[in-house]
Amino acid sequence: MSVSKSVSHDGVPISIFGAIRKKYFATPTDIVVSSILAVLVLWLLANVIDWAFVKAVFGAGRRDDCLAAEGACWSVIASRWRIVLFGLYPFEEQWRSGVACLIMVIVAALSCVPYFWNGKRLLGLWLSGFAVFYVLMRGGFLGLTPVFEQNWGGLALTLFIFAAVCILGMPMAIVFALLRRSELPWISRTMGLIIDTIRSLPLLTIMFTFAIVSPFVLPDWAVGDKLYRVIVGYAIFFACYQAEIIRGGIQGLPAGQEEAAKALGMGYWHRIGYIVLPQAFRNALPPTINQIVITFKETSLVTIIGFFDVMASGRAASGTAEWSFAHVEVYCFVALIFFVFVFSLSRYGAYLERRLGVGRR
Amino acid sequence: MTEHAILIRNMNKYYGSFHALKNIDLEVKRGERIVICGPSGSGKSTLIRCINRLEEHQSGDIEVMGTMLDENVDHIDEIRREAGMVFQNFNLFPHMTILENCILAPMLVRKIDRVEAEKTAMEYLARVKIPEQASKYPGELSGGQQQRVAIARALCMKPELMLFDEPTSALDPEMISEVLDVMVGLAEDGMTMVCVTHEMGFARQVADRVVFMADGQVIEQAEPETFFENPQNERTKTFLSQVLGH
Repeated sequence: MSVSKSVSHDGVPISIFGAIRKKYFATPTDIVVSSILAVLVLWLLANVIDWAFVKAVFGAGRRDDCLAAEGACWSVIASRWRIVLFGLYPFEEQWRSGVACLIMVIVAALSCVPYFWNGKRLLGLWLSGFAVFYVLMRGGFLGLTPVFEQNWGGLALTLFIFAAVCILGMPMAIVFALLRRSELPWISRTMGLIIDTIRSLPLLTIMFTFAIVSPFVLPDWAVGDKLYRVIVGYAIFFACYQAEIIRGGIQGLPAGQEEAAKALGMGYWHRIGYIVLPQAFRNALPPTINQIVITFKETSLVTIIGFFDVMASGRAASGTAEWSFAHVEVYCFVALIFFVFVFSLSRYGAYLERRLGVGRR
Repeated sequence: MTEHAILIRNMNKYYGSFHALKNIDLEVKRGERIVICGPSGSGKSTLIRCINRLEEHQSGDIEVMGTMLDENVDHIDEIRREAGMVFQNFNLFPHMTILENCILAPMLVRKIDRVEAEKTAMEYLARVKIPEQASKYPGELSGGQQQRVAIARALCMKPELMLFDEPTSALDPEMISEVLDVMVGLAEDGMTMVCVTHEMGFARQVADRVVFMADGQVIEQAEPETFFENPQNERTKTFLSQVLGH
């Protein structure tokens, strides 16, 4: 932690302690409040460190030591981490799942590089990354044993659902947003009704509808695996929210932008692709990052439809009689995984905002 | 090839029940420079925006470079390619550099390759005297510079005529002349121009004809000399005394 350099009124730099005294211990009330809070924070910190490190048990297979110890039982993670990360994926094939996760992370990292910041490259990157991920996970060719979707699980499944929802949902969101602002009143009204309806339904009911109910309605060839139905449902849900975000971004543009493009003879798709959407996305960047973060976290809802995402796999990891006492530690581990992903996402979003100068115009 | 750049016959434009343009007749010959003036709300901007279908007219005919402006999208596109437009608020694309602003439409619409488009763009940027700003973004330029870029951007499409919609109204006073200089240069090169403007000095200097509008009608049109020295209509006289009065 760093304390920013403080400067007193006459411009002379003052010490860290001086700054702290000035900001937190200036009046008697300040002294009392600050002291109480400081003691509280230190006490909490001490307890957490004591539990998580000092009295904790590390290393695989030390269940009996854990039961005797007062601190955290990290032994459960060392023994069961593969279940959390890979779920029910066959043990000897789990390297594939690991490599697949790594590829997704690399693709996400690459899409942060400005070189990939145009529609074609970004789409190419994600589609190819996604294809490699799928081939590795599913197998059935190149000498890889097939592993069916019902055996996918853990972090790999979470990443798969998240990436698929974004890849499918983002183009849908653009289409929805454009239809919503169509000049033909019937199209824009119908799209508005669809968006508002889906946004007023809980995500859970939409997932249930697509997973359980839709097979009764759809023709056989269109049913597909339950996983893909859930992904389609989730993607539509995502698209409806994101469409409104994009529409907001478009409405923030001065009318003159599209007029200038028209006056230059540019057709509808050129205007949308080169003038409207690039600026709309820039305007809508903060809420878009927010939407993506929410989407990542809410993937854990698929647990309820019977998928072993990282959350459910975590529960399974402490679900045996042997380790059932250590569920807190496993949840901490799952929370840490979510934190790493979501925190990097939001830091990246903040970087993007600075770089693109949102709000500076 | 027709002799007329623009031919407007008995044109009417409504906003809902509001009759914005009433029975407009206007001819602009090739190479002619027209200045349209009039009090605010008189329909000058609406008229010029009808010429390239930024606004839709409800009845009458508009013909631009021999192409009839109707529901046919090909006709609209054809007219927009041939008629460059400069706006009051510049409307440069803020997410692109000056050079990209200038080459985008030629590449997409005229299908010119990048090297050629950049060469043309640099020529026109030199002509409006800001080639050194090519790699900057619009937000980094002054209003006058942005408007000159906007003129260059329109010229990069190699249009047959240029429409100016109050090009100096949003500028700080000290920047007006740099834009007018560019426009005068363009007029001297024989470009067909239709300018909505309050710059009466510019009208005197370059216009072949001044058109005075009020209440959505063309009240009077004449050569600048006659228009300024000997206006016929009462409303023209009032307007001129207000504009030139001090």
